[in-house]
Amino acid sequence: MGYNSRFSLLAGYDIQRSIGLLDDLYSIKKGPEESERISFYDTFDWRLFNKSLVLYQAGSRLCLRQLTRNNNIYSIHITSMPVFIRDLPKSRLREHLTSIIETRALLKLFEMQSLSTSYSLLNQDEKTVLRLVHEEIRYLTGKHKAAPMNYVWVNPIRGYPGHARKIAGRLKDSGLEASDKDDIYLKGLKAAGKGPGDYSTKIDIQLNPDTPSDNATKSILISLLGIIRTNEAEIEKDLDTEFVHDFRVAVRRTRSALSQIKYLFPSKVTARFKKDFSFVGKLSNELRDLDVYLLKKDEYKSKIPPALRDHINPLFEYLRKKRSKAFQTFIQGLKSPRYANIIKDWEAFLNSSQPAAADAKNAGVPIIDLARHSIHKKYRSVIKAGHRILKNNDDKKLHVLRIQCKKLRYLMEFFSSLFPPKKIKTLIAQLKKLQDNLGEFNDLRVQEEYPLNIARELPLTNGRLNNTLMAIGSLISALERERDMLKASSAKTFTDFTSPDNERLFKELFAAKHQRPFHENTGNIQQ
Amino acid sequence: MRTLAIYSNKGGVGKTAAAVNLSYLAARTGNSTLLCDLDPQSSATYYFRVKPGLKSGAKVLIKGGDRAYKNIKGTDYENLDLLPSDFSLRNLDVTFDKLKRSKKRLKKILRQFNDQYDIIILDCPVTISLLAENIFHAVDHILVPMIPTTLSVRTFKQLLCFCKKKGYDTGKINTFFSMVDLHKKMHKELMVAVSKDFNNVLRSFIPYLSQIEKMGIYREPVAAFSPQSTASKAYENLWAKIQKSILSAHGPHRTESPSSIR
Repeated sequence: MGYNSRFSLLAGYDIQRSIGLLDDLYSIKKGPEESERISFYDTFDWRLFNKSLVLYQAGSRLCLRQLTRNNNIYSIHITSMPVFIRDLPKSRLREHLTSIIETRALLKLFEMQSLSTSYSLLNQDEKTVLRLVHEEIRYLTGKHKAAPMNYVWVNPIRGYPGHARKIAGRLKDSGLEASDKDDIYLKGLKAAGKGPGDYSTKIDIQLNPDTPSDNATKSILISLLGIIRTNEAEIEKDLDTEFVHDFRVAVRRTRSALSQIKYLFPSKVTARFKKDFSFVGKLSNELRDLDVYLLKKDEYKSKIPPALRDHINPLFEYLRKKRSKAFQTFIQGLKSPRYANIIKDWEAFLNSSQPAAADAKNAGVPIIDLARHSIHKKYRSVIKAGHRILKNNDDKKLHVLRIQCKKLRYLMEFFSSLFPPKKIKTLIAQLKKLQDNLGEFNDLRVQEEYPLNIARELPLTNGRLNNTLMAIGSLISALERERDMLKASSAKTFTDFTSPDNERLFKELFAAKHQRPFHENTGNIQQ
Repeated sequence: MRTLAIYSNKGGVGKTAAAVNLSYLAARTGNSTLLCDLDPQSSATYYFRVKPGLKSGAKVLIKGGDRAYKNIKGTDYENLDLLPSDFSLRNLDVTFDKLKRSKKRLKKILRQFNDQYDIIILDCPVTISLLAENIFHAVDHILVPMIPTTLSVRTFKQLLCFCKKKGYDTGKINTFFSMVDLHKKMHKELMVAVSKDFNNVLRSFIPYLSQIEKMGIYREPVAAFSPQSTASKAYENLWAKIQKSILSAHGPHRTESPSSIR
């Protein structure tokens, strides 16, 4: 099938006349003028844009296409635009988007008004063989009222390919320019003052190996503070749970940097902010646990025998109420003077350029040396702990191992720009796999215990309570079975991670191979 | 994807008019729809102003491959494509007879469109031979238009007997009354009797109307050239019943829209 193509019309171009001139070849049937409002959507973290996809709603149709392409991949009919993908009608579009968007909310980016008239080009049988559509587009979002843009679309009809080529050729000859590459979506984003990809939780800072460690680390921490602030502003709207999640990850990374990269800042400063960020992290602990539980509602229900499935609803209703309380508590925490002070002082510290204090012995060491040293040290401790924990078969300790892995991964991500990209990516991916496995194991353990602890809080009368307790019991045993299966695989994942290949790679990248000239103020790296 | 054959082993019962209007309505309600014109008389093709003829002739339905795909034509309506008919399809029965897996050829050809269309409607010629068996194998549902006359009812019984004998699932055969004249007492009486005697009789009928015959003049579905007419409303009712009673377990909607893109 042919593809739709688009030509820009300059001001003053008489498209009616151009189309009229085609009447030597076709009879032309003009359709009614149609007006449509079109809205474009993406998630806060630009998940669709990052996959070069464009999602838009035009009237009752929701369509997905590729960036700079003029044909839809999917188009479905909807009655109202949902915030979450799970609320879309069951369709291939939903399937396709679920894996990309997951639990994030769809936010409207901008709107435009389209005014279009279609011209059907008919052959001798009065059959439409090509459609030309004249479209005028006005962007409705944006500070300045931009002049409308005029286009003519050449939309081939399947099975009649020659006509599109012929007419496109004629339009080109009359001086029109094909504008397939300048996407209306990108223009609209620009008009609305929105930058695609202006938010990412990835640490994307190019470090110079010779930069003194304190400055290099500060630049990482400044970028983390940016993520904290951006999400903090969105959390209150309660659009989706990922704002809290991203906020927590940035806080955790900040804490990890403070504790894993040693003797970098004056010890008083490090101690204060370690404590402060531990406080910030705790603010949302309960909220996040509840979010995770509620997000898994459908998955959990599917694990329970059908006869008991609906009896577990009271648990989720109760958790939802608890969640809205936990959310309010978190918002209060974010608005508290203590939180404001922490963020204000932290920002001031990161932007200050005091000379290194006497107890910040690693401040002046080139970052490459400190990065190698910190990562390698953490790696060795993870390997050691892993062997010990797996040998002793202690579930609670598996959680400790997971936290150690996470810390190691954060370090590697902070400094990934200092190492060969392919190699460090491989190692991070391997580590992530191990950490996910351990993480899932731990989540299951927490999720098993959670309903046990709150079962007695459920506000139910005896009759209903019994059924609900039975449903909870069956969920717990399902989760436990799953956990046992995971446990068996975690030993294997760990062995994979400790493979000789990985060990060699860790050594190659991070073990100190030769002594670099020391920074004049510091001397050796302090442990 | 759901496949629906408009089939009858009796001629002149309003098959093509039903196939053309139902596929138009299926597309209008947002389903990506393909109408296959299997009748060598190519009336459905004519109604959509498409020239009959297939590039590889009857091989399209015999050998499959991408031949069917290459022959599909877009109609004048959004979401609705047509696989035109070809005069050589008149020999299809004879040709099928010489082949291996002669009863499952059509099924294989339709399967390749699984990803592209939500609904495929077949406009079938009058036959109760190998081609008919191909159709029974290939589709999810069979819809038989029936004029409330004794001969029509008799032919329908013959069809059910044939299917039972050959072991086809008669549960996928549905019927609706077509070309009904409510002035005729016999039509009314037979409708009541048939609804009692047979399963899967849709509670919706198409009256005998001159508007439907005018499709030949306008060369458009009646629901397109005269959307407010009684005929148009009758097909809309029928389509609603088909959706509710036959396609209710209908899978995902998916449409690839040929209209302008933003």
